[in-house]
Amino acid sequence: MAAGELLPLVVAVPLLGSAVLVAAGRRLTRIAADALGAAFAAGTVALCVFALIGVLEGPAVAWAGGWRPKDGLGVGIALVGDPLGVGLAALASVVTVAAFVYSWRYLEEPPPRHAGGFPALLLLFQAGMCGFTLTGDLFNAFVFFELMSVVAYALTGYRVEEPRPLQGALAFGIVNSLGGYCMLLGIALLYARTGELGMAQIGRALGTGEPDALVLAAFVLVMTGLLIKAAAVPFHFWLPDAHAVAPTPVCMVLSGVMVELGVYGAARVYWTVFAGPGGVSHSSCTRTLLVIGVATAVLGAAMCWQQRHLKRLLAFSTIGHVGLFLIGVAVLTPEGVSGTALYVLGHAGAKAALFACVGILLARYGSVDEYELYGRGRELRLVGVLFGVGALALAGVPPFGTGLGKAVAEEAAGQQAPWLPAVFVLVSAVTGGAVLRAGLRVFGGAGPRPPAEKADGEPETSGAEEEPETGDRLGRVPGTMLAVPVALLAGALAVGVLPGFAAAVGAAGDHFADHTGYLGTVLGSGSALSHVSASPHWTAAGVVLDLVSTALAIGCAALAVWRPGRTGHPGASGWWTPIRRMQSGHIGDYVAWALAGVALLAVLTVPGMLL
Amino acid sequence: MDEVLIAIAVVLVAAAATAAVFHRDPLRQSMVLSLLGLFLALLYTFVQAPDVALSQLAVGSAVTPLMILLTVRKVKRGPRSGSEDR
Amino acid sequence: MSRPVRLWVFLVGAVLVAALYAWACFDLPSFGGDHHPYGDRAVRTALAQHTANAVSSVNFDQRAFDTLGEQTILFAAVLGTVVLLRQVRGERRTDPTPAPVADRVRWFGVLMLPVALVVGFYVVAHGPLSPGGGFQGGIVLATALHLLYIAADYRALERIRPVGLYEVGDAVGEAAYVVTGLAAVLAGSAFLANVVPHGTFNTLSSGGTVAVLNIAVGMEVACGIIVLLARFLDQAVEIEETAEETGAR
Repeated sequence: MAAGELLPLVVAVPLLGSAVLVAAGRRLTRIAADALGAAFAAGTVALCVFALIGVLEGPAVAWAGGWRPKDGLGVGIALVGDPLGVGLAALASVVTVAAFVYSWRYLEEPPPRHAGGFPALLLLFQAGMCGFTLTGDLFNAFVFFELMSVVAYALTGYRVEEPRPLQGALAFGIVNSLGGYCMLLGIALLYARTGELGMAQIGRALGTGEPDALVLAAFVLVMTGLLIKAAAVPFHFWLPDAHAVAPTPVCMVLSGVMVELGVYGAARVYWTVFAGPGGVSHSSCTRTLLVIGVATAVLGAAMCWQQRHLKRLLAFSTIGHVGLFLIGVAVLTPEGVSGTALYVLGHAGAKAALFACVGILLARYGSVDEYELYGRGRELRLVGVLFGVGALALAGVPPFGTGLGKAVAEEAAGQQAPWLPAVFVLVSAVTGGAVLRAGLRVFGGAGPRPPAEKADGEPETSGAEEEPETGDRLGRVPGTMLAVPVALLAGALAVGVLPGFAAAVGAAGDHFADHTGYLGTVLGSGSALSHVSASPHWTAAGVVLDLVSTALAIGCAALAVWRPGRTGHPGASGWWTPIRRMQSGHIGDYVAWALAGVALLAVLTVPGMLL
Repeated sequence: MDEVLIAIAVVLVAAAATAAVFHRDPLRQSMVLSLLGLFLALLYTFVQAPDVALSQLAVGSAVTPLMILLTVRKVKRGPRSGSEDR
Repeated sequence: MSRPVRLWVFLVGAVLVAALYAWACFDLPSFGGDHHPYGDRAVRTALAQHTANAVSSVNFDQRAFDTLGEQTILFAAVLGTVVLLRQVRGERRTDPTPAPVADRVRWFGVLMLPVALVVGFYVVAHGPLSPGGGFQGGIVLATALHLLYIAADYRALERIRPVGLYEVGDAVGEAAYVVTGLAAVLAGSAFLANVVPHGTFNTLSSGGTVAVLNIAVGMEVACGIIVLLARFLDQAVEIEETAEETGAR
């Protein structure tokens, strides 16, 4: 089978799996339901890998229903398998399988006759993510965007016994629905202008003429939807609230893949739809994404440092890294894209592994509070080691994929502005340092015992007295729950060291950043790759910067643990408190910020475009 | 003639939507929402999209308000105490 | 944020967004124009495919992949509702007491029920021919069933509504859509390709797979909405929290 023909199957197989699970779910035991779900998810991984091998030569296109356009004009939907899109579908599928394996012994026994519910939802999530990465049609992308969202709300609120998961899911749902509306409105504007819905077709139509207010509004609205999904500042408020309460296996998928798909979507839509002369100029897009990216990175890292609730800490570190990914794509070069892609791959492994470790803590001690757990993790030596390795990987230690991706993205960003690499180093150091600090306290019992009770007026939750998601507290840690973080970290390592891997990602970046090439591939005029960049590789400067950020992370963590008076938690009285209080949990606040964010995007994009 | 009908429907939709926002009681809100669904269905009919009007009528004026009503009932009933006042 | 601050942030954002959108609207093509590049192509294609209802041709043939995603969103939403509104620890079921129903209401329900059911089936069946189709008809069918709740009582509804069966129907509808798409692949064509003979224009069986997918969607939507409302009714009427759980909060 040609690679193109496999593309629709990547979406169809998990969909079929979820339908089977729902139909048979009332008769299946839990083990059978989980095994069936995992089998469908793993089958999809295999399909993704076969498709990926096929498209490494060059992108493949599948027209759903066989509606191949005639003379460049058509009525159908294209699935476009460029190496980056298929690669992300593979990543999403792999992390879904990891979530399946992890939740096998993790989640509480489902109510009788409902064993199929959770695995079916996970499969639908996988289908949504794969569809979103593979589609070449803007409206179809919106459909899969909504599918991902709907499933994610339900999975976030899965533990309905407690009020907080529902509140988190509600904030997630309302803010992301707002993003959906914005995106749909933007697509409607583009359709009104061009009469097309395919990305390549709209891109072709915007390839001539002058940009005007309609194009600006469409760009701003579509980007808003995708940046809300990516949890970029000031659209990020939903993420910590949702990630802190979602079941841990779900967090692995949310933090490791779904949020990054927002960044992917923004980059994809810009390059295919708006990169032409009638769209949005490179400099306007760079300015917008760069400002948002830097703000996201800095805020995420700073907030991450202040958390003691381990899941919230990891959630804010995801925000920090999303900021770095946005900077990586903002420079709009193939090098930036391939660096970011490597970074995303490495980050997914490291972050999902860290969530897996926190899940073990939650299952065993009924707490995710860094202070309360002080020293209690000493008995879990292997988990402690994994947590530490994950923290260092997050900081970008060579030879992990995060380190390679960071180095390549850093270098690409440095071409845009010489101070950008400093943002990369600092943000990865602070987020890695925060995780390392928590690990030292929890698993090493290092430093003086922190005060267990919550400081007066501390804005965020501490994470003490959480209900374990396993139902009862775990005695022995099941092998599957340990195997998952080990495998994920091994994957993050492989991204950095596997020979030929970086070169393949580099080629994927070239294809991704090739506007005319994409249009030619989809619309059938065909065109060779217009620009072949040097493959990303380890450089001396990159390794040095990686080591600097790792050293800084270790330094920050050590200082915080052994000299808590100087660098520890600033508590309620710090200068940072007003910003911490912005994370208020009030959905009205989040909506107000989102609307202000739309306006900010417009203000950032308009200079040089229309004014 | 078409334009007049469309204009009337648009005004009704805008009015009903605004009213729905300003009603604070979910019960009344669901009724206004049902009305909004009806006006939207009219608007879709006037702009020659009968199938969308049909969906809107079924979802917007029947299913969604019903779901809101049931939710309100559940919330108001609260834990246990509500079982007497049925 | 305090209320006034929130309001200000909102207003500043809202005014700017409204201005941007209004500005963009001046660049829209004028209302009622006759330049519809996609619409013209779609209608031409629909006629070539022997599908009288061009909208159904777009939904179930030309852009059938979109509809797969959309029906899956509904499927996911129903499944999510089933999972979230499950009966959990500390909740118990009580038998609802039947409430008296006024005679007029009862007669209204009894008379409307068959009418509504027939309309629902008609709208589903004529999807390839006239406005409407699986989605619209499915919802009519689902709501029609709930006339029983109005006309008789909850227990009468429960008797004709074995939720488990409808859950299966929901999944079968979803699976039927995917399997129809896969069958086209097995037949050597593209996913969701319209490989079935297209039949005679403007007859019930015309349109090839349009008729098949239309019925799959109708089944999924009707069963899905029934399950959805069943879960809501369950929560509103039957399930209640027990006292101990309340005390723990």
